[in-house]
Amino acid sequence: MKVPFSYLDRQFAEVNPYLADIGALVKCGDFTLGKALEEFEGRFAALLGVPHAIGVGTGTDAIAISLRLLGIGPGDEVITTPNTFIATVGAIVQAGARPVFVDSENGFVIDPDLIEPAITPRTRAIVPVHYTGNVADMPRIMAIARKHSLVVVEDACQAIMASIRGRLAGSWGHAAAFSLHPLKNLNVWGDAGVIVTRSAALAAKARLYRNHGLVGRDEVRTFGVNCRLDTLQAIIGNRLIGTTEAITRRRIEIARRYDESFRDLGEFIDVPVRRTGVRHVYHLYVVRAARRDELLAHLTANGVEAKVHYPIPVHLQKAARCLGYRRGDFPVAEKHGRVAVTLPCHPYLTDDEVSCAIDCVRGFYARAPLRSGS
Amino acid sequence: MNVPYVNLAAQHAPLKAELLRAAERVLVAGQFVLGPEVDEFEKRFAGLCRVPHAVGLNSGTDALILALRVLGIGPGDEVITAPNTFVATVSAIALTCAKPVLVDVRDDLNIDPALIEPAITPRTKAIIPVHLTGRPADMEPIMAIARRRDLYVVEDAAQAVLAEYDGRSVGSFGDLGCFSLHPLKTLNACGDAGVVTTADEGWAQRLRVLRNIGLETRDNAVAWAGNSRLDTLQAALVMVKLRHLAEWTEARRANAAFYRTALSDLPAVRVPAESPREKCVYHTFVVQAERRDELRAFLAGKGVGTAIHYPIPIHLQTAGLSLGYGKGAFPVAENQAARILSLPVHQGLRREEAEYVVAQIRAFYGL
Repeated sequence: MKVPFSYLDRQFAEVNPYLADIGALVKCGDFTLGKALEEFEGRFAALLGVPHAIGVGTGTDAIAISLRLLGIGPGDEVITTPNTFIATVGAIVQAGARPVFVDSENGFVIDPDLIEPAITPRTRAIVPVHYTGNVADMPRIMAIARKHSLVVVEDACQAIMASIRGRLAGSWGHAAAFSLHPLKNLNVWGDAGVIVTRSAALAAKARLYRNHGLVGRDEVRTFGVNCRLDTLQAIIGNRLIGTTEAITRRRIEIARRYDESFRDLGEFIDVPVRRTGVRHVYHLYVVRAARRDELLAHLTANGVEAKVHYPIPVHLQKAARCLGYRRGDFPVAEKHGRVAVTLPCHPYLTDDEVSCAIDCVRGFYARAPLRSGS
Repeated sequence: MNVPYVNLAAQHAPLKAELLRAAERVLVAGQFVLGPEVDEFEKRFAGLCRVPHAVGLNSGTDALILALRVLGIGPGDEVITAPNTFVATVSAIALTCAKPVLVDVRDDLNIDPALIEPAITPRTKAIIPVHLTGRPADMEPIMAIARRRDLYVVEDAAQAVLAEYDGRSVGSFGDLGCFSLHPLKTLNACGDAGVVTTADEGWAQRLRVLRNIGLETRDNAVAWAGNSRLDTLQAALVMVKLRHLAEWTEARRANAAFYRTALSDLPAVRVPAESPREKCVYHTFVVQAERRDELRAFLAGKGVGTAIHYPIPIHLQTAGLSLGYGKGAFPVAENQAARILSLPVHQGLRREEAEYVVAQIRAFYGL
């Protein structure tokens, strides 16, 4: 049995409704901004329970634009964690600021104890990453930010519908960034991102900035970029956004099955950390595993498409040389680079496929399968 | 009669079945980010411009920004361009933290090469000639200046795919050429998209890294960068249209030729001339008209859609005030801003529609 990591073929097996929507758009030729995007932004804001959602080109752009429009730029320091996808840091640099790293905790999110010691007179912002779909400790991070007058932009690209005590990721900071990349929980057919914020002023600035600074057709208020969420993608988003909660529940259900099935493997495998009150949405189901590379090879050989997110922590990337960090600076992130392995956890997996992945992991550690048959 | 300025619906209606098949092909392949469709599009676009490399990006604006970044242009540097372009040319310079230096244009709406050299300072790093309206800028003297003064040339060819100068495609003269595939362009995506062309393989590779979050491979980041990939879906859709581009371009040129002849005896309306060195592709057909605003209103009343590209030169925009130029700094561009009018010239324009436009213009001037 093959247990695929990607699911686009399954998600869009019934393609005709999407093609009909695209056909209607093609027929009217209204490809930039417009009603479909406004509808999507309205529904996205409602889903997140925040007043403003602004569609932009990508999740990376959502972070960079938020920082820039919140006044972060050259000479400023922005604190984040090296245990993230590279784009978080790329976005900070795009905004002109200097990334300052602090290590993550075992739950793949920034360790709040380490933030305050990293604050300098130049620190202007924190970008907590809700990595893998877990949520950084936002109550503590917001308290630190208030105390030091820092801006908080949540990187919620992987964490739509995640929450702490019912309050959604993306609704804590001054702004938050979401990604609709094809492999995200809520996805479209290409790159797309969303900024959410409670600030009407920031929302207005973002709408201006993403569209060349244009007011109307002819007046340029400020130099801006072209970073619109494609209307074509908004149409796909409108079709899918209603399924977000169902997708989230299925991911959580599969994650729980994995957790339970690996309970007797405690000496080999640490399942994802579950903090009390936190709703983890398992964009990535990442375990920390003994003999990771062998396990990965075993899974791959048996048709279970596992991945590593990511083998090289950001501070050890070639791009990071200019920041002056060294191996050993962030032991947790570095350890995760060695031991993390991501199992398929998307809502289009059958129960049998999940069982297959489970038994493959168990087999590798010489444990009996949980169920026979598949 | 109703003659809209553009008609994207009419352009796309006959392509609908092909476009949907292309979308479905991308879906079945299951690859929405980069991959063979983007590679194939880039190869074909490079062939079209007769340059070795083309790199697909998220927009023409990003093409300009990343072109400047590839050249290492940033704070403290100056970049020379024209004040009558679409704002993105100047935004791109400003966003790389370089200083936009503007010089005036000639009667053909393109940068005046004679004014470039006096604007060069020790901090000047590059020239961005804009092939505005689909007319190539005067590349021979521009390239000569660039060589003499050791400056980079980044062509803003956003409006000018297939335009030629001395038989060579725009985008093949400078170090890098920037194209837009915005829905209103002749070669248009169904959303935002752009392309950079270059003869330099190293720059092409660097652009591929910079458009993809600095990643050289899935796990190796070699630069800090944003995400500015040409959507695979858009690449597939544009390839459907590539097959029609030559024919569309000829249709636009034929419309332009018709207007030029039919309006040639009107002293109140100056039509754009075409020199033998140029092949213009008429993204816009811009006349310079007396009593422009009245003419425009009159035409609107007769059902003729027109546009103004662009009514306010960049140095007089709110965003441009920080550049420190005032009214009068660029008399040619400022004078043109009050006179220019873009007539419908798109490939779907029928001859009787063009005749109607001409008849209404003549009627306005009492002829």
